Order: sequence, then C-alpha cells, then structure tokens
Amino acid sequence: MTTGETMTLHLKVWRQRGPDQPGALTPYTVTGVSPDMSFLEMLDLLNEQLIERNELPVEFDSDCREGICGTCGLVIDGIAHGPKRACTTCELRMRNYRDGDTITVEPFRARGFPVLKDLVVDRGAFDRIISKGGYISVNTGSAPEANTIPVPKYKTEAAMDAAICIGCGACVAACPNASAALFVGAKVSQFALLPQGHAERKVRVVRMVEQMDTEGFGACSNHGECEAVCPKKISITYIARMRREYFKAALAGV
Amino acid sequence: MSEWFDIGENLLDGGVPPGAIEVKWDRYRSEMQLLAPANKRHYRIIVVGTGLAGASAAASLAELGYTVLNFCIQDSPRRAHSVAAQGGINAAKNYQNDGDSVWRLFLDTVRGGDYRSREANVYRLSELSSDIIDQCVAQGVPFAREYGGMLSNRSFGGAQVSRTFYARGQTGQQLLLGCYGALMRQVNAGRVRLFPRREMLDLVRVDGRARGILCRNLVTGEIERYAGEAVLLCTGGYSTVYFLSTNAVNCNATAIWRCYKKGAYFANPSFTQIHPTCVPQLGEVQSKLTLMSESLRNDGRVWVPSEPGDTRAPANISESERDYFLERLYPAFGNLVPRDIASRAAKKMCDEGRGVGPTGYAVYLDFSDAIEREGIDVIRERYNNLFPMYEEITGEDPYHTPMMIYPAPHYTMGGLWVDYNLMSTIPGLYVLGEANYSDHGANRLGASALMQGLADGYFIISYTMEHFLASNKREQVSTDHPAFAESEESIRREVARYLSHTSGKSVKQFHWELGRIMWDKVGMSRNAAGLREAIGEIRALRKEFHDHVHVPGTGEELNKNLEMAGRVADFFELGELMAIDALHRNESCGGHFREEYQTEEGEALRDDENFSYVAAYEYRGPDQKIVLHREPLKFRHAQPSHRSYK
Amino acid sequence: MSTFVAKAGSSLGKKFITGITGFGLFVFIVTHLGGNLLLLVGPDAFNAYAHYLHTAMHGWFLHMARAGLSAFFLFHVVSGLAVYRDKLRARPERYEKMADAGGTSRKTLSSRTMAFSGLVILVFLVLHVAHFRFGPGLEQGYVTEVNGVEMRDLYRLVVEEFNKPVVVYAYVFVMLLMGMHVRHGFWSMFQSLGLARPNTVPTLSGMGLVFGVVLAVGFMLVPLYILYFIPPPSEAALAPGVLP
Repeated sequence: MTTGETMTLHLKVWRQRGPDQPGALTPYTVTGVSPDMSFLEMLDLLNEQLIERNELPVEFDSDCREGICGTCGLVIDGIAHGPKRACTTCELRMRNYRDGDTITVEPFRARGFPVLKDLVVDRGAFDRIISKGGYISVNTGSAPEANTIPVPKYKTEAAMDAAICIGCGACVAACPNASAALFVGAKVSQFALLPQGHAERKVRVVRMVEQMDTEGFGACSNHGECEAVCPKKISITYIARMRREYFKAALAGV
Repeated sequence: MSEWFDIGENLLDGGVPPGAIEVKWDRYRSEMQLLAPANKRHYRIIVVGTGLAGASAAASLAELGYTVLNFCIQDSPRRAHSVAAQGGINAAKNYQNDGDSVWRLFLDTVRGGDYRSREANVYRLSELSSDIIDQCVAQGVPFAREYGGMLSNRSFGGAQVSRTFYARGQTGQQLLLGCYGALMRQVNAGRVRLFPRREMLDLVRVDGRARGILCRNLVTGEIERYAGEAVLLCTGGYSTVYFLSTNAVNCNATAIWRCYKKGAYFANPSFTQIHPTCVPQLGEVQSKLTLMSESLRNDGRVWVPSEPGDTRAPANISESERDYFLERLYPAFGNLVPRDIASRAAKKMCDEGRGVGPTGYAVYLDFSDAIEREGIDVIRERYNNLFPMYEEITGEDPYHTPMMIYPAPHYTMGGLWVDYNLMSTIPGLYVLGEANYSDHGANRLGASALMQGLADGYFIISYTMEHFLASNKREQVSTDHPAFAESEESIRREVARYLSHTSGKSVKQFHWELGRIMWDKVGMSRNAAGLREAIGEIRALRKEFHDHVHVPGTGEELNKNLEMAGRVADFFELGELMAIDALHRNESCGGHFREEYQTEEGEALRDDENFSYVAAYEYRGPDQKIVLHREPLKFRHAQPSHRSYK
Repeated sequence: MSTFVAKAGSSLGKKFITGITGFGLFVFIVTHLGGNLLLLVGPDAFNAYAHYLHTAMHGWFLHMARAGLSAFFLFHVVSGLAVYRDKLRARPERYEKMADAGGTSRKTLSSRTMAFSGLVILVFLVLHVAHFRFGPGLEQGYVTEVNGVEMRDLYRLVVEEFNKPVVVYAYVFVMLLMGMHVRHGFWSMFQSLGLARPNTVPTLSGMGLVFGVVLAVGFMLVPLYILYFIPPPSEAALAPGVLP
C-alpha cells in the first residue's frame, strides 16, 4: 500500500455528446492522482475537476468497481481494459502510471456496440445473443434433486472457466475483426460441458451463432487478442469448442 | 412520546398463517386461490430490478404465463449487484452428514439475526433452501464438486456445519447468470419485456393499490409511464448511504424510498451489516470498498499485535507477540464467528491502538498456517480469484504477507416492511430480496442473502401474488390516469430543481460528506449523543444540498450526475430515518450496537422485554411526524437466549 | 433454423471453408516444394517429375488436381475475402490508437496481414501459372529427352527465368509473404475447424512458425541458387516472344 505522492496526468478522452453525433479526442489534464486510485477513480477525480470548472463531466459506465459486473470497459492506450492482464478497467490502479504520462481513453468500438455518449456504449447485442439460447430451459420447480447427476470435477472446472465470463465486451473491443466469438464460445461451452445442457446443445449453438452474426459482429480469424485482454482469461479454445458444436449441429441437420 | 415520531396505536400483523411451523407454508400455498392459466397473460406485472430476486421472479412469473415488464438501471440485467456475492449459498441438504437439517438452519438463522426476525418466514426460507440448489444445478450453475462428481460444501461464518454451496469466489455471479438465463429465455418467448437503463422514480397508486411506476430513461432522459396489476420491488439494499461500502456505485434506495413516501412502511432502517473482511480504505477519493469473501476466514487467522503502537512488519512480530483475538475471545467459533461479532471485535482492537497498516484501521488476516498445512496450491485453488484481486488493489502479495482487512458496510437487513406474503403495506406492492426487511433480523448470516433473494423470487412470490390477484377484481388502469400525470409533473420539477444551479458542490461531494456522518455516527457502533448530532448534521447538509448542489448537463441526455442527485437526495432522508430508528432502539442487537447497552465484556445487550418487535415507519407527508408501527415478534421454537459464540 | 448452406455462409462456416481449403492448399504447397527441390538435383530429375505429373493416369491426375486446386483456391479466396469484408463492416469507426495486448495473444504481423498476403499470393499465382504452365513449351523449342522419352524442357525455362534478378527478388518477396500466410494460417486452420485443444494450441502455433519458415526458405532456395550458381543456357536457344 503506497501513500503520499500524487501525479499529474494528461488524458486524451473520446467525447461524443450522443449517439450518431460526431466525436473527437479531447485533451485534459488531471491533477492530484494518487497511485492507489483505480483508473475509474482517476476519471471520477477528473470529473470533479471538470464540474468545478463548469464543464461537462466525462460519461463512462461502471458499477461494482471490483471486476465482476462487467459494466466498465474502456480502451486505454489502444488496449481494452488497459495495460494490465486479467484485470478490468475498474481494477486497474494508477500505480501502473508515472507522473506526466499521457493516456488515450476511447470507448469500446464495434458496430454491435454503438456509442451512446462519450465512453458509454450499448452492449444490448450480448443480451439478445443470450436470449437465443444462453441458458438451460428448465422451468422453476421442475428440477431433479441436485446430486442426481454426478458431474466430473474436471468438467465442472472447465465449465466454470467459461462460465466466469462477465460479459464486458472487451473481447469484441480488442478483436481486429470485432468478433464476439469468445463471448458466445464461452457460453456455448459452459453448457456443452455439463450434462444438464445436453438436451438443447445443438439448437443452442446454432441459434446463438445466428444471432451473433445478425448483430453485425465480425468473424473470428483467430488472432487471440480477445483471450489476452479478457479480464477472466477465458481461453480461445472455447471458440474451437463452439465451432465443434456448431459443425456437429450442422451435420446433424439442426 | 418522541420528538421524532408518533407511535402507532395498532400493532402490525405479519399475516402469518396458522398451523404448525413445519407445515404452515405447505398448507397455506395449497389453499391459495389460483388464476386460470390462460388468464394470466392478461395480468401485467411490473418487476423492478434484475438481481437474484428480480430476475428469478420475472422469469418464474413469465413461465407461469404472466406478462412481465422488467426494469433495471444497469445496461444489462446480468450486471445487478447480486453478481458480486462471493462466498456461497446455504442449503439444508445435509450432504456432509454433519447434522444439518431444515430445523438447524432455521435455528441458526434466527439466532444469527439476534431474535429480531419473524420465525415463520425464516422457517419457510430454510425449507425452500434445498429447492434452490436443485433449481440452480438444473440451470447449469457450475457449483464446486468433489472428484466423484457430487456437490461440494464449505463452512461459513456463524455455522458449525458445512452447508454452503459455492462456485469458486463467484457464487453470486453464477447464480445470477442462472436466473438471467431463465429471464432471457422468457424475453425470447415474448413474455418478458426488458427495460434496461431505466430508473424507477415513483410509484403510482390508484384507489390505494400499487398500479404503476414512472421511470427515467437514463439514455434519453424521457420520463416513461408503465401500468400494471402488481409491482414487485427487487431493488436491493441501501448500504451506499455510507458512500463507501462494498455495494456497487449505482446501488441506491430510490425505488424503495419513493414507495415509502407513497405509504409503504420502512422497517428496521438502522439494521445494517458491517462486513468484517474488506480491503481497508486507502485514500480520500476512493469510490468503494472491496469485499474479501468471508470464506477466507475458514483458513485465515485474524490477528493484531499484542502491544498498541507496534508498527513492525508482520513478519517481524513473533508468535508470542500476536493476539489472535477472535480465537481468544470466542474459542467455540474462533475465526468463524458471525459478521457483526467479528466486525466489532476488529474495531475494538483498532480503537485500542492495536490496528495495523498506514491508517491504523486494519487487522491482519493471515494464511501462513493454512499454506503450511495444506500447501499453496490448495489455497490457490480454493480462493482462486480473491488473492490476485487483493494484490491488484493493494500491491501486496497475500500469499507471503498477511492480508489487511477492515469492516465495511455491506448489507442492509432493514427495508420495506412486508407481511408473510412479501406484500408491503400498499396492496399490490411486493418487496423481495434485500429490499425488504424480512428474514435476517438484526444480522444476516453469511451465504443467506442469495438464499433469500432466490427463495422470494423463485418459490414464494408466484403463489402469494397469484392469490392476491385472484382475490381482487382485475381492472385495467391506463397510463393516462391523472395519478400518472401528477407523478410525472413532480418528477419533472425535481429534475429541474437539481439542474438549476451552475455552481456549488458536486453531488459526489455531498454524498461523501453524508457518508462520513453516517459511518462515524450511525455506523458500526452508535450512541445517543452521536445519533442526535447525526440527525442535526444530516438535516443541515440536506438543506445545503437542495440549495446549492451543482449538477451539470441537461435532463434530456445521459447524465449520471443527475441520476446520482436524486439518489443522494433520498439518502439524506433515509440516513435521517436510520439515525432516528437507531436512537429509538435502546438496546444492542445484531448489527445495531448501542454503546450504552453492552455487557461488561463489551458484548451486545439485547432488551427482549421492550424491543422484541419490528419497527416500521410510516411517512405521512412533508410537514407531518412519521409514525412508528410495531410488529411484535413471538418466538415459539427458537427460544431467545443470550447469543454466545464463546 | 438455418439451412446447411446458410450455415456454411455463417461466420463460423466461412472460417470452416477457409480452414479446410487452407489445409488442402497447405498440402499442395508442401508437395510443390518437394518438386521444386528436384531442380537442385538436376535437369533430368525435374523434367521427368513434371512429365510424370502430366502423364499420370493418362493425364487425368493432373486434370483432377487442377480442378481440385482451382476449387480450393476459389473457395479459399472467396471465404477469406468475405471474412475481411465482415471485419471492415464490423467496426465502422476505427480506434484512434491501437496497441497489442501481448501475453497469450496470437496476433502477429502475419495474422493482421492475411488478406494482403493472400491477395499478393493470388496475383503471383496468376503470373506464375501464365509463366510456367502457359509459357513456352514444345512448340517454342523447349524440348528435351529423358531416358528416351521426349518431353517439355521445363527445367530450361525455370533456369532462364530465375536468372533474371527482378524475377527472383519479386519471387523471394512473395515467398516471404507466403511464409507469413502459413505462419498464421497453419495454426488458424486447426482452430477454425474446431480441432485446437487447450494443450495443443502452443504446439500448433509453434508448428505454424516452423512451417512458415521452412516453406518460405525452401521456395526461396531454388531461385536464389539458380541466380547465383546456375548460369543461363545460351541466348541462342531462347525462342522469340517469351515473357521476360
């Protein structure tokens, strides 16, 4: 835990008043940044300084500020969620920067994630993809006793490694093709790995991929940049698993 | 009697059905009135919130055929703050053969709540706990398992059995994604209409009944009207009244507070839970405190230096110079005492000058014994994400240096008063999950918030609400009704008022200052003098807020400062009510610790003779005194005793 | 739900086609390299090999191989370009600043330039086929005899061509791009076909690098060797009208 010295930082922040309006990188200087602050607390500080000068604060999304809700997400100096690995924007600490640094802050960019204002984007596409099959269809009350179906530990763990996705969209933001394959692959894989998910396994993958394509995300061409920026380190081999599931479904005529 | 409130003459009735506690719920739900399946789609149900309670309720009701309108302030239902729950969810499955049962979970919960909860509700909760696990497993929640493929359990604060199911340190996330999936399935089926980025700003009552809500569209700023046959509030707790808490920065009390101002009683507002294991505060501009799961206390040992003012590095403090105070004070439960006890003990150590870290407000949570005993890999697997998270925040490696922790506001047991049916004092207004006061009394045990949210949403509301709808005539209310127009007008006035100043302090500064008052005087331990001061200070600050708050931008766009302004305005009023309630309750119980009421050893001193009741406050208008209504609590099965974890 | 054909046109289907055709093309260039290296053995070995390909199965082998290869190229190019088009559409507004995340990322110069390297290879391919397949043959006097059989003297044509420095350096440049294309393409095809597993990704990616280097160097070896070590046949033997 560090204390004491504060920093002055130069920011170039994307400002855009509303959807479909022109935007531009705007320079700001923020003073009094402590190394213990999170990146978002630094932006909070900038906003307080802007309000004091009667300027419009920078709008950005955030909620839990502990890396689990997936609300926050900025492209910081060209990398989704910033320079640290396995870390969301809200978890990134300013001790990773030096006094006088210049930092460029942009929103997640993709056709599937239109900008609403400044750094706030609409990720409703992810909800629509999930609505097509990101679940096991079981009505409340119809579940069998929990220990009826044993699930091997390694399978549960592999499913959990995928289920851990927070839906932040960094994978799309970082992908040169703006593909959502890692997000969809993780959800498809979670249920493909669990016996409970088998009944709708084929229908699920086909529907979710259809919706993913409809939303205008690009095709995955295996750059693996998504895995590198994923705050939960979800492996691109889940994309391969989604593909296996999809091809099997296609062959089965689903 | 009091300068702050009048006392209601009639006692409140929780509407607990008759019969032995073991069969009460089963019989009650079997005798309820039902609606014909085909009729249900004509009923529009408004569900506010998409956390565990909200999403599970919306999904379950839609499955039954209702037309559901579901609202959330986040950009997606999956981001509701239930997502952040780490440790686990309790269920009386007794998979470990260690003596657990519905009855034991019931007793533990009532005792953990320091005998300030309604027995029948708690029993029902314990009863439903097993069904929740079944439901979640069927949904594909990847709970931890043993090598043989069976579900795994761990122990948790306040219990001597292992009944907690968990998915690494992300149980809340996995459970929420389970209900979110169920919800999205119904969205796809067209039975749920989803309204993300909407903030509920008012409740509409027609002929006394809850008949609709007004929301602000947080992207366009439009005020939108929605009508329905019932309104379900699933909007979570109000710990953010303290500014710094483990809750998400957008958590707020606005929905329940506006319903309070429309006539719903607010129960036990001062019952707040201060969680013992959080990363200590680092700086003045911090926006939130991060929880380190309570499950860490299974393997971590809590200690401070024996001597005050010992600033040596932890490694240089020998075993004999350390005070493992929880193990010393509470040998039976040791590091696993309930949250209120652990928090207070830590505060006491720091007040004695034995706290550690740069501020002196922290204690050590040391894993070296566990690492030596079980190996670093076992510990790494068990707490997976928590250690790196701690290291990211503090820059210190907890595998080699003990963690530093300090208590932080985490959960609010108080909330809108509900009866056994989860209905508030406004007919047709239901309150689920943390937003209601119900099952946890004065202190919630670990891993039971998830249980309650899901029990309410999956297994209770569909029955009780259906009964209500079936026993009342269905009448459509249009959003053109004057009650909607009136409400919209008052919201527009409020928004315009916030935007009227072009200089002054920001919303955040006011919130921060309010938080300081709340933490210092209405926080972990309280006294009458401090509470009186708090009320005065809150009132003064509130006046300054309304006269001078500076909100930039306009009301016709995405404007987070404007959103926060409304929430902070409500926090001022709620904060005052919390102080009033804490002042009135001349006893210590659970999370409510009044310094005047403690044993010689510094333990909470309950007063069952005078305070064995739920305190529910009624709002009667801006110039009127509030009214305190009491619901007496009777304990037929869990006999109130001094709560000892020694 | 979508038809089988529609699935082939989905984002996953396109990559499947790119991957499976890429695999075919990979096998082709590996054998092609084997044939090329016969140039280093000598004129007769090379010419006999070329002649064998032309006459195997009464010429049907070559017809089938050509048809198959053409189809593979066609599908590979079309699906690859479709992926590239989707990429352009999927992010209408570019980032002002872009950086590599590093770590486990497989993003490389190779992976970023697949469309470019692919298109250059395509152009090269057209010229290459025009040059050698449809270039001067028996009629123009490129005749030789191996073991008593009269056949086209392809060796001579190759040696002549690769004595032109411009041709050689252009060829070397294209082979560099081809190596890069294989460097990403090799591991990527396993991933696109859904065959990559957690424990095989690093190996496959490493093999991509090895194959990329081996193929690029292998193909460069022949022209460079010819340019510097094998003098051109006499000018007189050159028929008129041959492409430079």
